[in-house]
Amino acid sequence: MTKKNLIRLAVFLTCGYLVLGWGLPEAAQKWALALPRLSPILSFFGAIASRRAAGWLILLGIPLLVLAAFKNRWFCWHLCPMGFAAEMVSRLNPQKGWIRSVPVLNQMLAGALLLSAVIGYPIFIWLDPLCIFNGFFAAWREPLVWLNVGTAIAFGTILLLSLIVPNIWCHRLCPLGGLQALVHQLFHPAKRGAAAGEGRFPALNRRLFLGAAAGGVAAVGGRQLTGKKSADAIRPPGAVTANFNGVCARCGNCMRACPYELIQPDLGLTGIDGFFTPVVRYRHLAPQQEQYCFQDCKACTEVCPTGALRPITVEQKHEIPMGRAVVYRDKCVAWAKKEYCVVCQEYCPYQAVIEKPQDGVMVPVIDADKCRGCGACESACPADPIAIIVRPV
Amino acid sequence: MDMQRRDFLKVAAASAAAATALPSVAEEKTSTVVVVHGKDLVKMLNLGIEKLGGWGQFFKKGMKVAIKPNVAWYSTPEQGANTAPELIRECVLQAEKAGAAKIDIPENPCSPEGKAFPQSGALKAIEGTSAKLFRPDHKKGYRKTEIPKGKICKSAEITNELLDADCLINMPVAKHHGGATLSLSMKNWMGAISNASRRGWHRDGLHQCIADFATFLKPTLTIIDASRTMLNRGPQGPGDLAYPNELILSLDPVAADAYAATLFVGKVKAVTTPFDVGYIKIAHEMGIGCGDLSKVKIERIEC
Repeated sequence: MTKKNLIRLAVFLTCGYLVLGWGLPEAAQKWALALPRLSPILSFFGAIASRRAAGWLILLGIPLLVLAAFKNRWFCWHLCPMGFAAEMVSRLNPQKGWIRSVPVLNQMLAGALLLSAVIGYPIFIWLDPLCIFNGFFAAWREPLVWLNVGTAIAFGTILLLSLIVPNIWCHRLCPLGGLQALVHQLFHPAKRGAAAGEGRFPALNRRLFLGAAAGGVAAVGGRQLTGKKSADAIRPPGAVTANFNGVCARCGNCMRACPYELIQPDLGLTGIDGFFTPVVRYRHLAPQQEQYCFQDCKACTEVCPTGALRPITVEQKHEIPMGRAVVYRDKCVAWAKKEYCVVCQEYCPYQAVIEKPQDGVMVPVIDADKCRGCGACESACPADPIAIIVRPV
Repeated sequence: MDMQRRDFLKVAAASAAAATALPSVAEEKTSTVVVVHGKDLVKMLNLGIEKLGGWGQFFKKGMKVAIKPNVAWYSTPEQGANTAPELIRECVLQAEKAGAAKIDIPENPCSPEGKAFPQSGALKAIEGTSAKLFRPDHKKGYRKTEIPKGKICKSAEITNELLDADCLINMPVAKHHGGATLSLSMKNWMGAISNASRRGWHRDGLHQCIADFATFLKPTLTIIDASRTMLNRGPQGPGDLAYPNELILSLDPVAADAYAATLFVGKVKAVTTPFDVGYIKIAHEMGIGCGDLSKVKIERIEC
């Protein structure tokens, strides 16, 4: 292996391990999960689309753009861990010729991302390579829930694709590669058309225009789609509401960061454009400890690279209703069986469950204005089946 | 083992009855509750213990000591949801001084332990000592144990260290409780059992289960923190507070709870006598201890 590839391997393994996070202290993990922010696609297009700067960490997207202006796709061939994996797998297939018949889509994708981000629904933002890399390594954690592995699918898909059509990812599809090439051409007009390494295609203008047009149409359509369905699931706190499915890059960071393992990839609750976006699922009767969205925790919002989960303060967290608890009186041991219970009142950190005397025992009633949908009641309810459940607002 | 603690109890009671005026539950059928009033909890604790015959009555060299405070909630000491940390610390220091072989502070909290233990001040309280504060592991931390005298609760998964202790100190905080009316010493054992066990209690008759459990797990000493008492929105709070500034010590958990309950009369609507708290009444009727305060000797100390 060449020296260059040894360095690339080291970068791949280091980044992979950091995101995997096994044995790392909590603070180190939080920083490791900032890796996708190095991609301007996630940092900047995400911020543009969510209409919020996701904290000062957004600045992490700048170095790659500056690098591209001078060195074109130097990052791709020297550091990108996704590109390294794709290239290594590509070598397994000697039939290099296939790629000639595939059009250069990467710059079009970058163009599509640009305009669609402005419209507020960055189409294919989840094709960002750092996001895909991150999503793969973020998925493997204890306890291993197969659903969580959803964010790892894209990584495997790229490797499979690379095996069938070698180098197709880096040379034809990767929008981050496309973006770098576009930036480079911006500063080096003479190289237009040749920058992507393929001289046969028309220059910057047409690709960018075509991509942007397609992206714009898709974004408008996407916004129509997503607004209607996103209310059927509980989102992590701080989630932007209108265009969440568009802005979310499916990087898996929020799922990885949640200390209570509550966030999982969605499989259809939030609409067809919502697959693998994060939804909160409260775990019932967990044997070791009750698992709910702890009132002073905002770990998921600190690691979102796109601003789909906006950074919030603890005070804001206390005001955000993720959902609302509903008591099912026919199942409740206090309402239906006249037992002393109100464990829900006991656990509620917001004092939204009020105990009310009824037939000699205390029964729970929800104060809807105070409920934040944190799931403390649901996770601790001893009734079988569970008699208090958080519903989306 | 549990037997060792019982042996110790017998020895302690017998020797104390012979040598001092220490009351013996078993022999005289009356209980004593020591109530120390003051502001300095450490001083109050030491004065109360002195009244009961001194630390030497409880801690001896080589003993396995277990302390069960209530540090179940993500809540500051001032909010009164958890046992005051200075009580935990003083107890640990005295056990160390006596040469305890092992000091365990197990707690199965309700808030995540990573949040409850620091916020309650308990984690800091044991800093620099050999005591261990921990949440028992749900698989290995508990032993399923028969409760022969239980009427509803006939077995429970109990924390190993509490079962194995030579000296077991129950150190709850007195506070309002939505489900159990008041949370006192017998209620505090719900942090001594596994989640699977305690969830069942709510379904099957909470007060009877609390009393059933108290027939089995007998503390060497009960110390109830009533320096501040949460009057509503318990057990987690934050709620309105009263400041009785009292520390309640007794060898009889039922008498200690009954006395502590009187501090809530006129403040918590459902409590007009200690027997309005279901588990105190049941525990008294089952003969676990004496909940009838007219038959309990109350020793008051001003600090």
